[in-house]
Amino acid sequence: MALSASRRMVVAEPSQAARGYPCGNRTNLMTKVLLIEDDDETAGEIAAELTDRGFEVEWSSNGLEGLAKARDLKPDAMIVDRLLPGMDGLTVIESLRKDQVRTPVLVLSALGAIDDRVRGLRMGGDDYLTKPFAVVELVARIEALLRRPAETRETTLRVGQLELDLIERTARRGDRKIDLLPREFRLLEYMMRRSDQLLTRAMLLEEVWNYKFVPATNLVDVHMGRVRHKVDGPGDTPMIHNIRGAGFILRAAA
Amino acid sequence: MQFIRSNTFHWAAALAGLFAIFVTILFGFIYFKIDDYLIARSDQMITTQVNFFARVPPDRLIGALDDYLRQDSRGVHFAGVFDAKGDRLAGNVARRPAELETGAAVKSVRITQVDSGDADNSLVRAVARSLDDGNVLLIGRNVDETREISRVVGAALALGLLPAFCFLLLAGAWLSVRAQRRVEEVNLRVQRIVAGDLRERLPHRNIDEPFSRLAAIVNGMLDELETTINALAGVGNDIAHDLRTPLTRARLTLERGRTNATSLEQLQEAADKAIAGIDQSLSIVTALLRLAEIENSRRSSAFGSVALDEMLHEVFDMYEPIAEDKGIALSVSASSRLRVRGDRDLLLEAVANLVDNAIKFTPENGAVRLELLRGEEGIILRVTDTGPGISDQEHDAVLRRFYRSDKIRNTPGVGLGLNLVSAIVKLHGFRLIIHSGPGGRVEIICPDEQTVRAQDQC
Repeated sequence: MALSASRRMVVAEPSQAARGYPCGNRTNLMTKVLLIEDDDETAGEIAAELTDRGFEVEWSSNGLEGLAKARDLKPDAMIVDRLLPGMDGLTVIESLRKDQVRTPVLVLSALGAIDDRVRGLRMGGDDYLTKPFAVVELVARIEALLRRPAETRETTLRVGQLELDLIERTARRGDRKIDLLPREFRLLEYMMRRSDQLLTRAMLLEEVWNYKFVPATNLVDVHMGRVRHKVDGPGDTPMIHNIRGAGFILRAAA
Repeated sequence: MQFIRSNTFHWAAALAGLFAIFVTILFGFIYFKIDDYLIARSDQMITTQVNFFARVPPDRLIGALDDYLRQDSRGVHFAGVFDAKGDRLAGNVARRPAELETGAAVKSVRITQVDSGDADNSLVRAVARSLDDGNVLLIGRNVDETREISRVVGAALALGLLPAFCFLLLAGAWLSVRAQRRVEEVNLRVQRIVAGDLRERLPHRNIDEPFSRLAAIVNGMLDELETTINALAGVGNDIAHDLRTPLTRARLTLERGRTNATSLEQLQEAADKAIAGIDQSLSIVTALLRLAEIENSRRSSAFGSVALDEMLHEVFDMYEPIAEDKGIALSVSASSRLRVRGDRDLLLEAVANLVDNAIKFTPENGAVRLELLRGEEGIILRVTDTGPGISDQEHDAVLRRFYRSDKIRNTPGVGLGLNLVSAIVKLHGFRLIIHSGPGGRVEIICPDEQTVRAQDQC
């Protein structure tokens, strides 16, 4: 009972507010996501949100059925709950990985145990989200999984006028040189590799600072403020956008 | 009369019985030994005397006997000379006892004394000897004194044993009644404790006695239990209160938005506010769960070698802009390459929490300093600030869940930060030391056995 109660705690962001940012619906078109989740309400919320974002959602409430669907439908991404009837979520992922199915998987769990996350990732999950979560967070992570930056040999990253030299460790916007501290460089590099994607605070904390917890202070906002101040100079069209209640997006200035 | 059935009393009674038997045997033994000894001595004296008198010439025998008897003030000696027919010639023995043969060894016979009538015939050790002139010489000695001894012994036995026996029984009864009373009292109090009165304690005196010690142990346990339960109750209240506040706010916002909003924007604004309130409630729940998780985990298997200097620099990097925004000088001094065995993520969280707190509670133009140094006891991770610090009174309270100093009531936060740090530190077997103000100073001490030598890593 406790489990189902906590499952219902999925925080459904009002889709209107979340939909306030364009997130490349075109690329999502025909993108197939398989959702394996046994709680109807949670699954309903997630499916509705993903459908709104232009994903094609296939839902399965049972581990075994989910595994079969994953093999037949060949989805582009999967969202798998850890505790499932029929077959445990991690076992589903493990069997898929054994068959060399490399579909990116986001693991959902009501279990918060410290080791759980590590186990989830070790078993072949690509990302891990603990319930309760905001739906925006889930969508942002799915999009990040679908558009993982390719391992490029390029030494320069470019988004619009913004340029980042990975060897010289320098940045410039157009002709203007931007002085960045090492940590600011790291943040900007991460954002440039994922331009046009919504990056939530938790994602940034995990990936840029390697923080596995959410600190009390709004650390990300302060750092982002600094970087934004340097990137978007006076008179420039803003490139770093704050999406209220969700996170940040770096977009090429129109 | 319930005590008669008690175990203590049974033991006491058995002990008293055993004691009585033992003492009786002892006294009997003493009595028989003394008796034997006295009789042997009398017999020896009688033999000596009879030999002596037998050698006295017949004409002087009577006089010698009279002298002998006269000298005996206690009247224990008997002597007599009888002729062949058995008539008394001299001495204080009325008749020659028939059973006393001449020449035989000393034996007990009944002898009637002269001038005392037939009534007084006492048991006497005596010997008879034929003299050269045909008369019979009789020498005897009253062994009534051995009887005297037996009476004394008997009296001593009665005087000593009986009271001792009674005393033992009484002591047994008293002990059993006392034990029973104490059990009764303990039972009464335990029932009160079971009924919910946690302040009740078992009776105990300050003496080194098993029962008192047991009571003291149980009382110690009750103290611990009371503290824990009170803390739990407090935590329950605090959680409820801390959750209710943002939830109430969210509810009010939603209600007002629903009634008053005239545009979609206004409704969205209300929803955003409500979500913020719910998020705050959720973050409290998450923090609590995480705390429980850390407190209950045994993670040493997942421990690795953590470079503390690098970690401190990471935390510094993370918090520097925040400190700068607040006008606080954040500095780090961690030059030596020091490593410990531990969980990097958790240790980072602990240090980040300490720095977070320090920056939060330090007023503008203050300073927060992060230090890593090698102390006598091990590696010291120190966070100092110029804030109000933690007073002695608050010292224990800060580690309580949800405790928030009065000075900082209006600063945002969940109030679980130091709990988390404490739990993480405990999990690692490190020590958390909170120095009292002015100025905050918190140290995590990593004892040396936890240290991984830098060269081991190469």
